[in-house]
Amino acid sequence: MTLSRRTMIKIGGAAVALPLLGSTAFGQAEKLKIGFIYVGSINDNGYNYAHNQGRIFVQDQLGDAVETVYVENVPEGPDCERVLRELAQQGCKLIFATSFGFGDSVIKVAAQFPDVAFEHATGYMPAANVGLYNARFYEGRAVCGTIAGHMSKTGKAGYIGSFPIPEVVMGINALALSGRRVNPNFTVKPVYISTWNDPAKEADAARAMIDQGIDIVAQHTDGPAALQVAAERGIIGGFGQGADMSAFAPDTQLTAIIDNWGPHYLASAKAVIDGTWVPGNTWEGLKEEVVEMGPYNAKVPADVVADAEKVRTGQIDGSFHIFTGPIKDNTGVERVAAGVVMTDGELLSMDWYVEGVEQPA
Amino acid sequence: MQFRLEKRQEPSKFMAYATPVAAVALTMIIGAIIFSLIGYDGVGAVREIFLTPLTNSYKWQDLGVKAAPLIIIGVGLSIAYRANVWNIGAEGQYIVGGLCATGIALLTWGMTGWWILPLMMLAGMAGGMAYASIPALLRTKLKVNEILTSLMLTYASVQLIYFLIRGPWKDPMGIGFPQTRLFSEAARLPTIIPGTIVHLGVPIAVLVAIIAWFIMSKSVFGYRMRVVGAAPHAARYGGFSENKTIWLAMLVSGGLAGLAGMLEIAGPFQRMVPGFPTNYGFTAIIVAFLGRLNPLGVIVAGVVLAITFVGGEVAQTTIGLPNAATGIFQAMMLFFLLAGDILIKYRVRRVMPQTSTEVA
Repeated sequence: MTLSRRTMIKIGGAAVALPLLGSTAFGQAEKLKIGFIYVGSINDNGYNYAHNQGRIFVQDQLGDAVETVYVENVPEGPDCERVLRELAQQGCKLIFATSFGFGDSVIKVAAQFPDVAFEHATGYMPAANVGLYNARFYEGRAVCGTIAGHMSKTGKAGYIGSFPIPEVVMGINALALSGRRVNPNFTVKPVYISTWNDPAKEADAARAMIDQGIDIVAQHTDGPAALQVAAERGIIGGFGQGADMSAFAPDTQLTAIIDNWGPHYLASAKAVIDGTWVPGNTWEGLKEEVVEMGPYNAKVPADVVADAEKVRTGQIDGSFHIFTGPIKDNTGVERVAAGVVMTDGELLSMDWYVEGVEQPA
Repeated sequence: MQFRLEKRQEPSKFMAYATPVAAVALTMIIGAIIFSLIGYDGVGAVREIFLTPLTNSYKWQDLGVKAAPLIIIGVGLSIAYRANVWNIGAEGQYIVGGLCATGIALLTWGMTGWWILPLMMLAGMAGGMAYASIPALLRTKLKVNEILTSLMLTYASVQLIYFLIRGPWKDPMGIGFPQTRLFSEAARLPTIIPGTIVHLGVPIAVLVAIIAWFIMSKSVFGYRMRVVGAAPHAARYGGFSENKTIWLAMLVSGGLAGLAGMLEIAGPFQRMVPGFPTNYGFTAIIVAFLGRLNPLGVIVAGVVLAITFVGGEVAQTTIGLPNAATGIFQAMMLFFLLAGDILIKYRVRRVMPQTSTEVA
C-alpha cells in the first residue's frame, strides 16, 4: 500500500488527480450536490444565518433530489479558492459564494471547473459559468430611514459599514435620503470597520458613535452586536440586518431587513437539475420578497408605522423609488436632476454620498 | 495529599523527540472522544482532519501552499526562541513584509523584468526586519518586554494595510473595494508544477529550513543562539553580548516573516486585500514549538498544521463539523505538547502534607 502510493507520488500528483476529476464530472444522473460558502458563522443571526436558511429551504423543498453542504468562516482570500476547489472536487455541480470578497477566487476556480455552475452574491464579475445575484437591500434601508427620521431626537444616525463598496454606500444613502424626507436636518455618520463580522469592532464603533450623539444605529455588518450596544446604552433604537434580531434587543430593534434567499436558491437548483441553468444577473427586492421587513417594534408610533408602510408598499407597486431626483451629494453638487430616477447601473457603481451624510474618514 | 514538580537531573533526549508525536496522537484520541460525546462522528472527524488531506492526492498542492509560510515564519521563530527572545509579533512582520513587497509591485506595475521579484523579496525581508527592530530597540535600550511590544505592533500593522488600500493604493478598477490593483505578471510568483497552485514559495520554504538547520548546528551564530538560550550566564561569561543576540534574533525572525509575507502576496494573493492577515504569524508559534525549535522539525510541524487547516475544511463539508473544530484540534496539540515538555523537565512527586490540619 505504502509502496504503491510512493510510486504514485513519483508519477506525479497531477496524473493521479485526473481520474479523480473525471469520475465526478459525469455524475449528472445522481442527485444534485450544492455547495455554499459563507464569510462568517451560520450562527451570526444575521447575513450568513440568512444564507444558511436559504440552503435549508432548498434542502426541504427538493428533499432527496439534492444534497447541500456548506463551509463557514471562509476568509476572503486564497483560502476561499481552496474551499471552492474542494467543493467542486467533491462533486458539487452548483456552488453559491455568498460574499463580495470571494469574487477573485470564484473567477479563478470557475475557469478550472467549466461544468460546475457558480453563483456569486453581490459581486460584479460574471463569467461563462458564473452568475451574479443580489438583493435590493436599499429598499429596506428606505423603510428604516423613514422610521429613523421620525423617531431620532438628535437627528443623527450612526451607520456601521464594512467596506466603502457601492452596495454599502447605496444603503447609507438610502437611509439618509429617506430620513431627510421626514426631517430635513437628519444626518448619517458612517464608520467603516473593514470586516463583515467582528462583534467586538461592531460594538466599539457603536459605542464611539453613541458618545458622539447619535441615537439611532444602523449597520451593514453581519451580526447583532451594534443592536446589543444600543440596547445597553438605551438609545432610541436600531435595525436588524440580514435577519430578525429582535431576540437580542427586543426593545431596541425598531424593525429589521430580512434577506430571503431561499426562493432564488430553489430556482437555481431546479434550473441546474433541468439542465436549463444559464449565468444570470438578478437583483430583486421587496416586490419579489427577496428582501422583507421584520415586525415593527411596539414603541414605533402608529403614524410612523403608517408612513413606513407607505414607503414599503410604494416600492412594491413601483410608485416610489428612493433614488429619485433631485439628489445633491454631500458637497452640495446636484447629482440627479428633479424627477429622474437613478439607473441600476448608476446605483451599482455609486461612490458618492448624498447630502446629510458625513464624509467618512 | 499534594503533588509537587521536581526538576529532573537529565531530561530524556528520546522523550524530547517523542513528545510532539505523542501530542499529535493524544490530540487525535481525545479529539475523537470529545466530538463523539457532543454528538458528532468523532472518529470520522479525526479521519477527515488528519488523514484525508494525506490520502487524497488532490490535496497535496493545498498542503504545500499552506505549509510554506508556516515553515518560513516557524524557522525564524525557532531561531529566536532558541535564544530566549520571544518574538510574538511575527504576524505584524509578515504583514509589513507583504506591504513592502506590494509597494514594489505597484511601483513597477506594467513593467517586465526578472529583477522585479527578487527586488520584492528584498523589500519584504527589509520590511519585516525593520518592523522587528522596533521591539528589539525598545528591549535593548529601555528594557521593554518584547512579548508585549511585538504583539501590539501586529495590530498597528493591520491598520497600516487599511490606510494604504483605502487611500493611496486603492484599486482604480475595484468599484470602491479597498484593495490594490492586481499585480502585473512580472510581480507574480510562477507556479512550479503546471496545472497546480504550487508556487515558487514552496521550495523556498524547504530551502530556508535546510539552510537554517545548517547554520544553527554548524556555525558560530547558531552556537551563540543556543548557548544564550540554554545558559545565559555562561554565555555572558563567554563574551556573547545579550543585546547583540536580541538584535540578531529579532532581525532573523522578522526578516523571515517578511519573506513569507512577500511570497504570500506575490503567490496566492497577487494583490493586497483586507483579508491578507490570516494569522500565519500566530500559527507559526505552534509550528515552532511542535518542531522542537529545530528547523528540520519545523518542516514536519508546518505540514501537520497545514493538514489540520485543509482537513478542517474537508470535515466541514463531509461530516458537518463546525469551523471552530480546527482551532480546538490545533489548541489541543499545543496544550499536550507544552504539558509533555513540563513532564520531560520535571517529575511529579507525591508529597505528604506536613500537618494533617491543612485544608486545601
